[in-house]
Amino acid sequence: RVSSDGKPPKFQPPPKPVIIDRKTQKEQSRFLSPEFIPPRGRTDPLKYYIERKDMIQRRKVFNIPEFYVGHVLAVTTANPHTSDKSNRFVGICIQRGGKGLGATFVLRNVIEDQGVEICYELYSPRIQAIEVLRLEKRLDENLMYLRDALPEYSTFDVNMKPAPRMDHEEIPVNKLQVRMKPKPWSKRWERPKYNIKGIKFELPERKMQAAQKWSQPWLEFDMLREYDTSKIEEKIRKELSEELGK
Amino acid sequence: MMPIWTKSGEKHAVTLLKVQDCHVLRYVSKEESGGKTAKLLVGGKNVSPFSKPESAHEIFKEAGVPRKQKVTTFNVTEDAIIKPGTPLYAAHFRPGQFVDVTAKTIGKGFQGVMKRWGFKGQPASHGQTKTHRRPGAISTNKAAKVYRGKKMPGKMGNIYRTSFGLKVWRINTKHDIIYVNGSVPGHTNCLVKVKDSKLPTYKDCNKNPPFPTFFADGDEELPEDLFDEEIFQFTDPSVTFA
Repeated sequence: RVSSDGKPPKFQPPPKPVIIDRKTQKEQSRFLSPEFIPPRGRTDPLKYYIERKDMIQRRKVFNIPEFYVGHVLAVTTANPHTSDKSNRFVGICIQRGGKGLGATFVLRNVIEDQGVEICYELYSPRIQAIEVLRLEKRLDENLMYLRDALPEYSTFDVNMKPAPRMDHEEIPVNKLQVRMKPKPWSKRWERPKYNIKGIKFELPERKMQAAQKWSQPWLEFDMLREYDTSKIEEKIRKELSEELGK
Repeated sequence: MMPIWTKSGEKHAVTLLKVQDCHVLRYVSKEESGGKTAKLLVGGKNVSPFSKPESAHEIFKEAGVPRKQKVTTFNVTEDAIIKPGTPLYAAHFRPGQFVDVTAKTIGKGFQGVMKRWGFKGQPASHGQTKTHRRPGAISTNKAAKVYRGKKMPGKMGNIYRTSFGLKVWRINTKHDIIYVNGSVPGHTNCLVKVKDSKLPTYKDCNKNPPFPTFFADGDEELPEDLFDEEIFQFTDPSVTFA
């Protein structure tokens, strides 16, 4: 800075040190199941409050573990038509949909060369147990492209043992790039609309650039689509921790 | 709308209806109204009194109640008369009962004949000139006129319609919410009229209803949630088949 009087410049005190508190950071990154976050709409918030009370009630009786898309789960459901009245299915979670009590998750596995996908409801009373066998997140939140990938990526051993979990902190992200069957696929996964990072595209460069024609770069700047859930999430986390702590 | 599960594991979809500030406004006797039964005027959902003239507030002032958005009539027998000014609650209905729900359907505006009446229209190609969604012929040659009530394009929706025979699964007395089976006409947060069902199959299903209505200052202490017998309550463990 140019000094006004020819005197040495005014003493600027050094900036204050920023203290990052490890404990509060840990609490902030705690997991909130996505079906608790209410969608944007004109419904009365009382409806979501009452649904949440029911969901908390069910969670008190039956443990729904924390899981993401990409985890390998084993689900036992009650089935009146089998001899031991229960049915166990192991698979990788490819999608978590729905909000509130109707929340669902889809498990996929390949059994005897036949791909099988089952859509379970999280809060259905017929589910007797959910076990997490392998904990790993993937690069995408929707793994529907496994239908067009080679079957080796969707096969999981039915009698798999639960992998031992080391820390109670981070869930590892598997940066696996999946190889696909030859085209045609069920959806054009190379298009920017799906924004898939977990496929190893072996298509020629020309086709990849032609797919970019359908990109909509203005979407990320569209302010009307922004839905800031941070405050809603905080309130719901507080409510959950109070209720489940009781 | 929300899912609900029975004890055998079946899922049913359920609509939530909130009873918001309902009060009885006036009693109209059989002779006065000229009908077969006495009527009770009931109003629901409080609204600001400043948007209507003073003359419209007379009914509400007599009953001692703030101005209501909607006023409906219920035909009642002589023994079910309630004093004007009494509040009505969701506990008036009990789980296991069957109700009819009336509301104005979602307005779709001016619609063509395919959406409004389900006509098939014409094919998209094979030589059709400018005719894909039109009604086609509107009458015969011999009639030499168009009949009254001919299905034609016009304003669709925004009319009163009723869903009959809906089962009440659950009642929340704390927030005054009725859980009614299936879907109900109208958009989210619209005003809806709930009556006991007039269908002959459900004539004798209501055994011991609160008669004439549920009074909050009475002796009865109801639990916060009233469930039907077949509902799976979330306090129970998961369903197992023996």
